[in-house]
Amino acid sequence: MNRDDRGTDKRQRFATLCETLRPDLLRFAFWLGRDRQLAEDVVQEALLRAWKSFDALAEEGKAKSWLLTIVRREFARSFERKRLDVTDLDALVAAEADVLAAEDDAGLAEMREALFRLSDEYREPLVLQVMMGYTTQEIADQMGLQQGAVLTRLFRARARLRQELGIAAEPSP
Amino acid sequence: MNCLEFRRRVGAAPSVSGDEIEAHRRECPACSRYQDELRAMDSLIGRALAVDMARIRSIRARRPRWLALAASIVIGLSVGLALWISLPRPSLAREVFDHVAHEPDAMSGTAPVAPVALAGVLDPYGTRLRPGFGDVTYARRCIFEWRVVPHLVVQTPQGPVTVLLLRHRNVSEPVRLAEQGYAGIVLPAPRGSIAIVGQQKDLDSIARQIFEAVDWGN
Repeated sequence: MNRDDRGTDKRQRFATLCETLRPDLLRFAFWLGRDRQLAEDVVQEALLRAWKSFDALAEEGKAKSWLLTIVRREFARSFERKRLDVTDLDALVAAEADVLAAEDDAGLAEMREALFRLSDEYREPLVLQVMMGYTTQEIADQMGLQQGAVLTRLFRARARLRQELGIAAEPSP
Repeated sequence: MNCLEFRRRVGAAPSVSGDEIEAHRRECPACSRYQDELRAMDSLIGRALAVDMARIRSIRARRPRWLALAASIVIGLSVGLALWISLPRPSLAREVFDHVAHEPDAMSGTAPVAPVALAGVLDPYGTRLRPGFGDVTYARRCIFEWRVVPHLVVQTPQGPVTVLLLRHRNVSEPVRLAEQGYAGIVLPAPRGSIAIVGQQKDLDSIARQIFEAVDWGN
C-alpha cells in the first residue's frame, strides 16, 4: 500500500467511526452540557482533534471510549472558555424544551426534565452507565474517580430522580 | 447479604446480578421488588436519554452532509421502537396484580390524601378526580411497565379499590382481570386506559363510577 492509499484508508476508517459513533457522542455532549448548540460545537471540535491524533488510537475497538474522553476534555475547555452560567435551571429547561418534549408520554418528559435538573456530578455517571453501557469501573476510569465514589454518585442520582419524580419511597425491608 | 447492602448495590447498578444478589432476592420480596422497580426506572431513564437526534440538530441548518445520517438514525430508532413494542410482554393482568400485591401498605391507609398532594400526582398527566366520589387515601406515582403512572386508592362505600391510570396502555374494550385472588377490570379511557382492582362483588359498577369521576382533561 503506497502513501496515498494509506491516507485514503485512514480517512475512510475515520469517517466510518464518525458516522457510527457521532450520534452517541452528540447525545452524550448534549446531556453533559444541556445545550444542543454547545453539544454540536464540542463534538465537531472533538472530532477534529480526534482526526489529528487518530494514529495514536491503537485499537479501533476502543474508539468509543477514546472519543468520549476527547469529548469530555473538549467540553471542559469550552466550559472554561465560555464560562457558562448554568445556575438558572428553569431557563435551561425552557431553552431545550422541544428536545425534552415527549408527545403523549408525560412520564418520559418528566424524566427528561428531572435528568436535566440533576447536578453534573450525578448526571454524568448516570449517562455513562445507562446510555453508554459503561461499568462502574469504566466510569471511574473515565471520570478519574475511585469506584466507590462512582457507586455513591449513581446511588444518589437514582434516589434524587425518585424524589424529583415523586415516585413512592423504597419499600420497607 | 443484608437488605442494606443489597439496596446499596442495586441502587448503584440495578442490573447487577450474581449468587448473593439472587439469594437475597429469593428471601426478601421487598428488596426483590425494589430492584425490579429500579430496573424499570433505568429503562425509563434510557428512553429519556435517547433524545431525538433530529431535535438536537434542529438548531443548526448547516453541515448538510450529516442530515442523511440524522435521518437514518431516526429511521433506525423508529425500527428499534417498533421492535421493542412488538416484544412479548407480561400480561396486563399480571402486571396490575403484581403491582397491587407489592404495595400492600397502600390499602391500609384511612386518612384522606391532602388535595395538593393528589394534584401533585395527577396534574402532570392532565387529569384530576372530581370531588364527591370518595376519599383518596393513597396517591403516589409508581413505575409500571417502564412508565411512571398515578396509583390511587379510593375509599368507596363498598370498600377500598386500587386505581391505576395507564395513559400508555390502550385497550379497545373492557378487560377483566382475575389472578392471584384479586379481581379487576381495565377500561378504555380517553387517554390510554384505567385499571381498577378490588374485592367487591359489584366491581363493574364501582369501576364505571370511578371512570366517570376522572376528569381526563383536554
